[in-house]
Amino acid sequence: MNNETAPVDPQWAWAPYSPSSERPWDLKWAGHLYRRAAFGASWDQLQKALKEGPDQTLAWLLDPNGNRSEFETAFDEYESSAAYSSSTEGLRAWWLRRMLQTPNPLQEKMTLFWHNHFAVNQAKVKSGRLTLQRLRLTRKYAQGNYAKLLEEIVHHPSTLIALNAEKNRKTLPNEHFSRMIMENYCLGPDLCSEEDIRDVARAFTGWFLIRNELRFLEREHDDADKRILGEEGNFNSADVVKLVLRHKAAAWLIVKKLYRNFISEIDNPADSLLEPLVNQFREHYDIKQLVRVMLKSNLFFSDAAYRKCVKCPASFALEIAKGFEANISTTCLGRDLAALGQDLFHPSTIKGWPSGRHWINSATLAGRCNLVHALVTGAGSYENQLSPSSLFSKYNCKTKTEASQLILNIFLQNDLEPSVQKQIFQQNPNLDAQSWLKHYIINVLSLPEFQLA
Amino acid sequence: MVRKFQVGIRIVMFALFVCQNAGSDSLPKASQWIPQDAVITFEMSKPADLFHLLLGPRIEKAVTTAPEYQALANEQGFKELQGVIRYLETTLSTDWKTAVKTLLGKGGTFSLLPENKILLTTDSEDSKLLSQLHEILYGFAKNEAENQGNYDRVKSKEYKGVTGYTFGQDEAHCIIDNRFMFTNKSNVLKQIIDNRSNSELKSLSTLENYQCAQSTINPEASLKGFLRLDILNQFTGINKVLTKNLNPLAALLLAGLPDSLSVSNWLSAGLHVGEEHLSLLANIDGKLDTSDPLSFIGSNGCAGGVLPIIQVPNQIASFSFYRDLYQFYSAKDDLFPERTSGLIFFENMMGIFFTGRDLTEEVWKEVKPEIRFVVSEQRYDPSIGAPAVQLPSFAVIFKLFNPEKFGLIAEEAWQKAIGLVNFTRGQEALPGLLIDRPVYKDIKMTSTYFSSMEEDDKSKLETRFNFRPTLARIEDNLILSSTDQLAEDIIDSVLVGTVAPLEKIPGTHSLVQINADRLASILTSNRETIVRNDMIEKGKTKEQAEAGQEILHRILSYLNQATLQVGMEDNIAQAALKLSLNLPAVE
Repeated sequence: MNNETAPVDPQWAWAPYSPSSERPWDLKWAGHLYRRAAFGASWDQLQKALKEGPDQTLAWLLDPNGNRSEFETAFDEYESSAAYSSSTEGLRAWWLRRMLQTPNPLQEKMTLFWHNHFAVNQAKVKSGRLTLQRLRLTRKYAQGNYAKLLEEIVHHPSTLIALNAEKNRKTLPNEHFSRMIMENYCLGPDLCSEEDIRDVARAFTGWFLIRNELRFLEREHDDADKRILGEEGNFNSADVVKLVLRHKAAAWLIVKKLYRNFISEIDNPADSLLEPLVNQFREHYDIKQLVRVMLKSNLFFSDAAYRKCVKCPASFALEIAKGFEANISTTCLGRDLAALGQDLFHPSTIKGWPSGRHWINSATLAGRCNLVHALVTGAGSYENQLSPSSLFSKYNCKTKTEASQLILNIFLQNDLEPSVQKQIFQQNPNLDAQSWLKHYIINVLSLPEFQLA
Repeated sequence: MVRKFQVGIRIVMFALFVCQNAGSDSLPKASQWIPQDAVITFEMSKPADLFHLLLGPRIEKAVTTAPEYQALANEQGFKELQGVIRYLETTLSTDWKTAVKTLLGKGGTFSLLPENKILLTTDSEDSKLLSQLHEILYGFAKNEAENQGNYDRVKSKEYKGVTGYTFGQDEAHCIIDNRFMFTNKSNVLKQIIDNRSNSELKSLSTLENYQCAQSTINPEASLKGFLRLDILNQFTGINKVLTKNLNPLAALLLAGLPDSLSVSNWLSAGLHVGEEHLSLLANIDGKLDTSDPLSFIGSNGCAGGVLPIIQVPNQIASFSFYRDLYQFYSAKDDLFPERTSGLIFFENMMGIFFTGRDLTEEVWKEVKPEIRFVVSEQRYDPSIGAPAVQLPSFAVIFKLFNPEKFGLIAEEAWQKAIGLVNFTRGQEALPGLLIDRPVYKDIKMTSTYFSSMEEDDKSKLETRFNFRPTLARIEDNLILSSTDQLAEDIIDSVLVGTVAPLEKIPGTHSLVQINADRLASILTSNRETIVRNDMIEKGKTKEQAEAGQEILHRILSYLNQATLQVGMEDNIAQAALKLSLNLPAVE
């Protein structure tokens, strides 16, 4: 991890990818795009992507056409009903269901990204209503304006509760709160002085959480001058956000994180590679523009990005359901993902989930295999919601060879060493066709290649 | 055509499969041929009673008017099946109902044996019809196999003078006189034929436990069941599941039943079928040891039995128990040695509420063993509003030995508990319960509620608005209710003498009554919530979840009431279940 890679020409890296004989637009890259920009794809979607080419597929992912309001309204209502409870199990299940069924998967993928970046733990917040508000806030700005997102997030009641800052008194500014938001949400570590931290805390004085409602009490606000990030004035909390956004580190933090999210988790990109993106992002803080450049780039469609991320548990499981074109029990899935280290609404630290290689250890790897087994065999609450036979019937697979090829195409885009393919195919020769296929699917989905995005 | 007959074969085999026989004129009872290791056996001893209900016009109307049936009837497969049935009816010169009644007219048995083996026997009133049907099916099965080039699949073989047939795999069947026998493992058929030819060999009927079990079943039962708990307990670990890891509440609720089952050799059951009801009576032979801490429940015929259940408006369910909490709690260290710390915490908390009184000697000892519960559908006051998720209200009614003295102690404890709830909620900036002391029909209650004054949308209040915890005492009845409304309904019920005379039901320690119409009503009130829950719990689509609810509602609409009565006689458990039906009328 954190390998210094050979310098890449930024101009080439961020130029739009154009299929060529060396890098043709094929199943491999269609699958790669759907893994990063969505939660996997069905065989129909992959075929459509192949037919339409990278530009049109990406355009659809960034701006899905069609009327989505019916879907959004229905799911907003489902989520609202689940938010009555202080437990987030229902909300977590509806969010996973939304990720699975949404006609706008990139929006949910980005919502998950911001959920992880602006991490707060529901165990501290204890309010389903506030948790839902926060989820909607991140969804609203998932591909919108980062400046607005940051301003609303740092002023959200859930942030204040989670960081023990429900009462920001003039006489007792909360430096823990200011340190947490400056280092984790805004700029990154070691970029603020102790004076900055102290004065940011002073700028936030006056904000009180009263019965889960955020209120500004003028009498509790410290209106004396402050010095923050080298500038001096009678700053309030909104000014802090503006000062942060004027600081170059704010854009660097997001660009680096999105690079890890979309391009590669294993290399440490040179500053010169990211600088053009940082400069562009600082102009308007337009998240979608930044994402578009990354997903459209030569670098994204290159070996420097291919299978260079580890799937988070949610992506891992949802890609399976998506591939089988099935609905599954997301209540049960939410619990299983928690066991694999990704308990939605409960990020493990204020910095979010460690992600990358940290998703995989001997216990979680065994857990992933168990989850695959449960999904494919219908164990426990999953019953028989994933139906391989329906999939094979839909795509007219009549033999074991045809069915196994379909599985490889959907889940690994057939990008697997022939020797491994052969080895898996030859396993369990004495089983009947149905059992053999189930074992085959379990083996494919347990391969290291399928753990990578 | 071949496909139609394939379907036909399966249908007829299935029809034969679900029934059993009690013996024809010329053959011994099927139980004399059934292997002794049959773990579960059902015997249809009075098929006419079952057919009267199952093949009667009211069930037929209930089934055929269901939208699910109508949707099924439009499917191609169903139409093909109807064609097969019509063909068989023409060939056999009978209609399908008469054929089923004739083929199963003398009864049948179904047994489950170890290693997932099954055995089915049916005794026909007309051996000629049975043979004819078998010949037709055999012919088509053979043709089908030959058409597929599988000439050996359908074959017959003689064993000890009996011709056995197979239509494929390990399935085997034969006809002896008017008895048809089917099994999924051919060696079972051999065993039966051996039993038939040698009456000295062990069969189910020679098993002493089977004979004992039969003696407990009313001979008039239409369907009899026999379970070998000795085998189940030995091999499946069921007794471990039954007796271990029960929490104290579950142990109290089940009243020693798991202990009884774990020491039982058998369970017998007899089903009676009436015009408007089904009733099932079950017995076991396991006797609770007098040293068992729960044996007090069965001693002395449950001390006279339970009180009649309380009836209130909109009642979903009503329960009446005989549970001596004093004796139960006194035995807690023997019953739940691994839960000591949890129980100590519970006792400490109760000590706070009951002002340091000893929980065993000064609290539980004040409570009589006759305890009743009521669950009812709520009626929401429009001025307060209705919650988005509507929960039923529920109440427990204790009877006190010293109502005047202990009533006040209980009231004080109740108010402390409410205070603690309010304090805890206040710590989390959550709204608390307002405490009121209303008087209803001269009974002073301690009633509490959440104010909905500041709620914007009164049609979708939070779940907490389902609760208005209330305590009331009327005579020696101490009522703890989740709502004031239910407490008032119970007071009405006690005052108007709905429950009088309070004659105990002897030999019974648990009585449960469930009203299907109210259950359906509360499900309707929460339909959207249940549908949504099914979507995320079971991964269903909205349409699938809604269809599931429709089916549940239809089933409930055919049910009036279910009553379960469990008791002990001489430390032996008995259970009786009665289902009152509400089948559609036929003109």
